[in-house]
Amino acid sequence: MESRGRVDGFYTLRSLRDRSRDRFHVAQLLQDETEHIKCFVEGKDLTCFWEERNNLHHQYTFTYSYENKNKMACAVSSLLASNKTIFFCKLPKTPFFTTLDVQVLRDGRMLYTRSLNAENFLFLDPPRNLTVMSSGKEGQLNVSWLPPPLKYMDDSMIYEVRYAVEGSNMGKVEVVKVSTMLVLLGLQSDTRYKVWVRVKPDGVAYKGYWSAWTEPVFGVTPPSDVDPLIVLLVLFIGLILCLLSLTVILSHHKFLLKKLWPDIPTPEHKFPGLFTVYKGDFKEWMSQNNGSMWGRSVHVYTEELPSLLEVLSEVSRTSHDTSQREEEEEKESESSDSGLTDRWRDPPHAHWLMEQLRALQENPESRCQSSLLQSHDTYVTLNQGDNEQQVDDVFEETLPLQTLFTTTGTSSLSTSHSDLGSLQQSSGSGRLSSQSSFEYPNHTWAPKGPGYAYMAVADSGVSMDYRPMSSSRIAELGRHRMYTNDYKNEICPHKWPLSGQYIKSGSESCTGPVW
Amino acid sequence: MSFFHLRLFALLLMVLEWTRPGLSSPLRPICDLRVLDHFIKEAWDAEAAMRACKDACSIATNFTAPLTRVDFDVWEAMNIEEQAQEVQSGLHVLNETISSLQASNQTDVLQSHIDASISNIASIRQVLRSLSIPEYVPPASGGEDKEMQNVSSISELFQVHINFLRGKVRLLLANAPVCHQGVS
Repeated sequence: MESRGRVDGFYTLRSLRDRSRDRFHVAQLLQDETEHIKCFVEGKDLTCFWEERNNLHHQYTFTYSYENKNKMACAVSSLLASNKTIFFCKLPKTPFFTTLDVQVLRDGRMLYTRSLNAENFLFLDPPRNLTVMSSGKEGQLNVSWLPPPLKYMDDSMIYEVRYAVEGSNMGKVEVVKVSTMLVLLGLQSDTRYKVWVRVKPDGVAYKGYWSAWTEPVFGVTPPSDVDPLIVLLVLFIGLILCLLSLTVILSHHKFLLKKLWPDIPTPEHKFPGLFTVYKGDFKEWMSQNNGSMWGRSVHVYTEELPSLLEVLSEVSRTSHDTSQREEEEEKESESSDSGLTDRWRDPPHAHWLMEQLRALQENPESRCQSSLLQSHDTYVTLNQGDNEQQVDDVFEETLPLQTLFTTTGTSSLSTSHSDLGSLQQSSGSGRLSSQSSFEYPNHTWAPKGPGYAYMAVADSGVSMDYRPMSSSRIAELGRHRMYTNDYKNEICPHKWPLSGQYIKSGSESCTGPVW
Repeated sequence: MSFFHLRLFALLLMVLEWTRPGLSSPLRPICDLRVLDHFIKEAWDAEAAMRACKDACSIATNFTAPLTRVDFDVWEAMNIEEQAQEVQSGLHVLNETISSLQASNQTDVLQSHIDASISNIASIRQVLRSLSIPEYVPPASGGEDKEMQNVSSISELFQVHINFLRGKVRLLLANAPVCHQGVS
């Protein structure tokens, strides 16, 4: 703002135009003032004013006194506003830190009165030389200004900085104490900002009103810039990570390859030349090799040790007198659990089996009653139906294969800690059923009929490759009364410890497999 | 809590001055006006508390209190010694008047404000001493050479107290020559 001179005619028309803005601004600021007489100090001069409706013409007198001493009069001036008149009086060189009593008399009669201390109503000039500069850092602006030229008050002022994006009405305000500079943080990059500042006494030694806002000053924030150091660091770290992962992959590439791209086992190495020379034509290959296939022992070894499979079966007493041969079979199987689970089917005959179990348990004639077999073992039981049904029942595709897993629990049919129970086949010759106590899980299978076969596979990790045989072959087998899963009838009531031994026993004595 | 620390600081200054052997070196000048501003804030609190109690705080006798009026032209025309004398005599009178209130029965809250004001005046004296401001000299003759005023209530007394600190005392401290030696 331009400097003020103490000129007579302070309120001449020319200066009134400039001052009226200040006065109206002050009047707006003092809207909250409840007193009729509103006073403020500019510099060292106290100005008091009051508003009146300009409908009547009255004679106003303004008197003041310090510390209850002699009253003095002040010349009243007026300012015409929109629908009101503002009367004011200025007291030059007002003493501070003392009580001032002012009165307004209208036509000789007391209208308003007020008692105040001048140092509590300071109305300062706005700050000077407001500058906004970019600090070079992203989203920051440096704002600095100079305080209004007042003695004794340099260190008792507080400032308010208002800033907003150009064109926007939403501004933020920051309060600054004593200091005459501020760094605005958190701004948008590459944006033009408007900044205003105003000042007020801090309220300790002097009190007052907020000054008018300065004229806005513009500043532009620097564009966002990626720190090259950060880019370099990111690249460097990325490179190191790549090298590390490459090293890990290369050192374990075999393992990873096996996991990600497992070899599909082919029997190619057992049939030399079958696929390469004869393009898979087995007949041709057979003729060339002239049946030497059967001469060789076909052992499909996998990397894992063969696990023992005990097949328990029992021919029904009612239908069979002949003993069944018990033959323990060494089965080699694939060891992957996933292969095992893939081949199992849902057992629909669990219910029938449960009935058999109950019947057997109630039957005291059975020799080896409810022997609790080792729960860690899983057992294969084959239950072959009658010969006529055997063909259909035993080797049907739909025959359920049921496993009782105890510890691994990989199969959907698995159960925990199930004991093998005894099972009694209902009827039919050639039926094999195990006799031991069973405890089925909740979702036990329901046998569909007397002609089912199921296998409970022993040992964790054993997968059974159960392939149905062709009908003709089955018939041939049936004729010769040969089936691969003859086993001893009785299962003795003792726990079978797990061991790796393989025992082939054909005797009828009560010897259980020794694992 | 900082008030307590300031009192402690002032006490420490006094102790250090006594125990220092040989030459009594001057105290380190306390030019920071925030020290005085702290006392002024406490005086504001006391004045507000006294203003709130009107009836309970009225006392029949009149008090003597210094004048607080500052005419800037007159003040700037005075030299440092005159200003110092005015401030020191005013502090002296205030101290005596407020101390006389300690004997009267007041509430605990008011009593604490009274005690705080007395200790603040003592601390301000220490600050003035650190700035090499001349001490209070009682008038040689029996009469008062400095004008005083009479106040009739405790609230008025504490108004005088706050106005005196904000005005004359602060102006004196702000213009202490010791603090402006490098500047002027």
